Amino acid sequence: MLLPKFSYVKAASLGEASRLLAAGDRKTCLAAGGTELLPRMKYGLVRPEKVISLKGVAAAAPERAADGSIRLDALMTLSAAAASSLIQAHAPVLAAAAAAVGSSEIRNMATLGGNLCQESRCLYYNQPHDFQFTMPCFKRGGDCCYFIPEGKKCRAVYMADTAPAFICLGAEVHIVGPRGVRRIPLEGLYRNDPLQPLTLSAGEILSGILIPARPAHRAEAFAKFSWRPGFEFSAVSVAAVLNLAEDRQTCRHARIAAGSLAAAPLRSPKAEAALKDKRLSTEAIAAAADQAAREIRPVPHHGYTRAYLRECHRVQVRRVLSTAMRPFAKT
Amino acid sequence: MDEYIGKKLIQLKINGERFSAAAEPHETLLEVLRNRLGLTGAKAGCDVGECGACTVLMDGKPVLACLLLAVDCQQAEITTIEGLSQGRELASVQEAFLAEGAVQCGFCTPGMVLATSALLTQSIRPSEEDIKRALAGHLCRCTGYNKIFAAVQRAAGTDRGKA
Repeated sequence: MLLPKFSYVKAASLGEASRLLAAGDRKTCLAAGGTELLPRMKYGLVRPEKVISLKGVAAAAPERAADGSIRLDALMTLSAAAASSLIQAHAPVLAAAAAAVGSSEIRNMATLGGNLCQESRCLYYNQPHDFQFTMPCFKRGGDCCYFIPEGKKCRAVYMADTAPAFICLGAEVHIVGPRGVRRIPLEGLYRNDPLQPLTLSAGEILSGILIPARPAHRAEAFAKFSWRPGFEFSAVSVAAVLNLAEDRQTCRHARIAAGSLAAAPLRSPKAEAALKDKRLSTEAIAAAADQAAREIRPVPHHGYTRAYLRECHRVQVRRVLSTAMRPFAKT
Repeated sequence: MDEYIGKKLIQLKINGERFSAAAEPHETLLEVLRNRLGLTGAKAGCDVGECGACTVLMDGKPVLACLLLAVDCQQAEITTIEGLSQGRELASVQEAFLAEGAVQCGFCTPGMVLATSALLTQSIRPSEEDIKRALAGHLCRCTGYNKIFAAVQRAAGTDRGKA
């Protein structure tokens, strides 16, 4: 498969890339790792006139601030994030999520920022379309859906694995744009619209991620279900972060987020509320998992039915909560 | 920064040697290796980063040559399967693949061998889990995975005591 022709610019800094991107009138694409953009270009899903490469911008090492928060460069590769001792100590849920993405080859190329800014995906949409003479689907600018033939709207899902982990950590993203830098909670990056999943405007680039300081007692875990990790995107990925009381058995505050179930990573506020100030017994964990599965209505994707995904989601939530609590189990 | 349109000379460092190739910006590293430099060891499989057949080592780490623009690879040290053996002598990983019969059609083999050598420089005694994780992105349609895992264990010297 050949890439379509384009002109190439290697940006020296994110500021320069942002200026070029803003001037490019949406016909310019940004390539950090390239593992998302290049297949999309080969499939003809995007045809940029210009590609701005970020390979010339070095990724800064993760930094711990005086207040205990850590700042990650968006250009850090997933394998570097998975292997970073600072991330493993400060946010093991993120290290686990980064290690669960794709294959080791993909993780050596793909970046944290690229993972968070992934396009939504669909079994029909993510393939070459040059052999087809049918009308384009919603995502390709048309007005029909081939994945769910009577569908009235696009059902593409957002499948990045690190997003649920970052959301549970309460991460904030830094966005460089033509009007300077803005900082928003990561959840504000997502619109839950499969046609345009991100809230980034023209010329804006995700430059860094800030993870707040770690409280004294915290349990966390990540789990992903996929038919064949290494090749397949996740059917469901779930992260959970539990702030614990002094006794390390009672939950003070919980965050549970799931990916690949909709056009944005979704939290389970009712399940989180149900865990608040509860002892994290097996029964409490199972009840929270049931609640999480009840409150999210998964979008069927990649051949998985809604009922299958709902059950899969329930199992993954129960699994992350019990895995998170394992280090605090009383012997 | 200069905009790059049309054909230009790019410099690549492959297997310790310097190569110049006239390439357009939309040419991938895989296309330049195979079509312009005659290094056909890296295979074009799926071409979208799913099968691992095009794996090469970039600064010692396995990456997918089908998802890299050749122009972006000018600063890196690239190792292809052609650069692994010394002259007529095969590398120990290659010997292990031969000895275990881990090569059938051979299409996935260059990627598997390169990913294995990267794994073995990282960890001396990888567990079976480590091996499976390192090779998770490599598709073998002859489905000889067990023999490949055995070859990796033989290369790592962790196969002893199993027989």
